[in-house]
Amino acid sequence: MWTVSDETLVAGLASGDRDAASAFVQRFERRVYGLARTIVYDDRAAEDIAQEAFVRAWKHSSAYDPRRGSVVGWLLTITRNLAIDAVRVRRPVVIDPASLLGYDAASTDRSPGDHAELSEDSDRLRAALAQLPEEQSRAVVLAGLLGYTAREVGEIEDIPLGTAKTRIRTALLRLRAALVSEEQE
Amino acid sequence: MTVSAMSCAQVRELAPELALGILSGAERAEVVLHVNGCARCQAYVAELTEAADAIPQLAPEAEPPVGFEARVLQRLDAGERRTRRRWIAAVAAVAAAAMIVSITVVRVIESNDSTSARQEATPITPAPKPVAVPMQLTAAPLPAGWAYVSDGHGVAVSVSYGMESGGYTVQVKSPSGRAENIGTMTVSDNHGSWTGRSSRPIRAGSTISLVDATGAAVCHGTVPTAL
Repeated sequence: MWTVSDETLVAGLASGDRDAASAFVQRFERRVYGLARTIVYDDRAAEDIAQEAFVRAWKHSSAYDPRRGSVVGWLLTITRNLAIDAVRVRRPVVIDPASLLGYDAASTDRSPGDHAELSEDSDRLRAALAQLPEEQSRAVVLAGLLGYTAREVGEIEDIPLGTAKTRIRTALLRLRAALVSEEQE
Repeated sequence: MTVSAMSCAQVRELAPELALGILSGAERAEVVLHVNGCARCQAYVAELTEAADAIPQLAPEAEPPVGFEARVLQRLDAGERRTRRRWIAAVAAVAAAAMIVSITVVRVIESNDSTSARQEATPITPAPKPVAVPMQLTAAPLPAGWAYVSDGHGVAVSVSYGMESGGYTVQVKSPSGRAENIGTMTVSDNHGSWTGRSSRPIRAGSTISLVDATGAAVCHGTVPTAL
C-alpha cells in the first residue's frame, strides 16, 4: 500500500525507483488519461499523449519544485500542453465547457479517502468557477483547459477579440482571488 | 541585451494569457523578456500560473486502456538505460523537495567524486550512484519517506508521512550493529529533510534511522544489497 505523499513519489521517480514509478503511474493515470481524452477527443491519441506525459514527468522529475505548485497541477499541465500541441493543427469538435463544469466528481469510482487533497483542490476550483458569470467561466475553461487562444475564444463565442481577452483575464484574476482567500480561511 | 519595450501595465494585461499558456509567438516572447527582468511582474505571473495550473484538474478522470501502466513503465525502463546519470539528479530532487540550498548537494556530489577517486575506500563502497532506501515507520508498516545514499557516505533523508513534529537524530547502524549518529533533523507538519555525510562507510545491510528524544527509532530503512 502506498500512502506516501505525491512529492515523495516524485523524488522516488527521479531516483529511478521502479516501485515509486509504478505507484506514481497508478496514482495519476486516470487523471492524466482523462485530461488527454477531454482535449484530443480520441482514445488512441489520448493514450499516446498520456504515455508521453509520464515520460516527460519522469525526465523532469528531478527539477520538480513543490514551491511552484502541486504534483498533480504540474503533471496535468505537462499533459495539457502535450495534448494542445497535438490538436493545434486540426481541432476536433468544440466541447461545451458547461459539460465539464457540471461534471460530478462524486460519480467517479475513486476509492474513499483517496487523493482527498486533490479532489478538494478541484472542488474548490469548481466552486470558484460557479461564482463567475457564465460567459467568464466558459472563456477561462476554453482557454485554460482546452487551450484555445483569445482569438479562438472570440470566434467560438462570437464576440470581439478585446471582449474575449477581458473575459479570460477577469475570470483568471477572480479564480486566483477565490483560491487565495480559501487558503487563508 | 535588448530591453523589453513593454511596460509593466502592458505585461499585466497579457499575464493571464501567458499563465494560461495561450499566448502566441511574438507577444509571448516580449512578455517573457519583460518578466525575466522584472521581479514584480514575475511574482504576478507566478500567482496567476498557480491558478491557471489548477484548471486542467477540472477534466473528468477516465480509465486508461488495459496495459497502460506496463507500457509506460517499459518506456521509462528504456529511457533509464540511456540516462544513468539521473542517479545523481535524485539527490538534487530530494534537496529541492526539501527546499535545501543546492550548495549542500553540490558538496555531497563533489565529495562523491573525490571519494571514488581514492583507492583506500573499502572495496564494497565506491559505486558513485545514490541508492534509494525506503524509510518505514517502526510503529506500523507504513512508508515514511526515503533516504538516498551516495558513494557509501553521502546521505539525503526526506520524510513526509507519519512523523511527529520535533527533533530527530539521524543514526546509521552498520550490519554488525555499531551505531553512529551523523546529524539531527527537524520534522514539522510531517515533513523534514536532512543531507550530510557518514564518516564510516554505509553498506548493504546498514540501517538508517531517525531516533527521537527518548532514543526510539521512529522510522528506519535498511540499505538494499545493491550499493
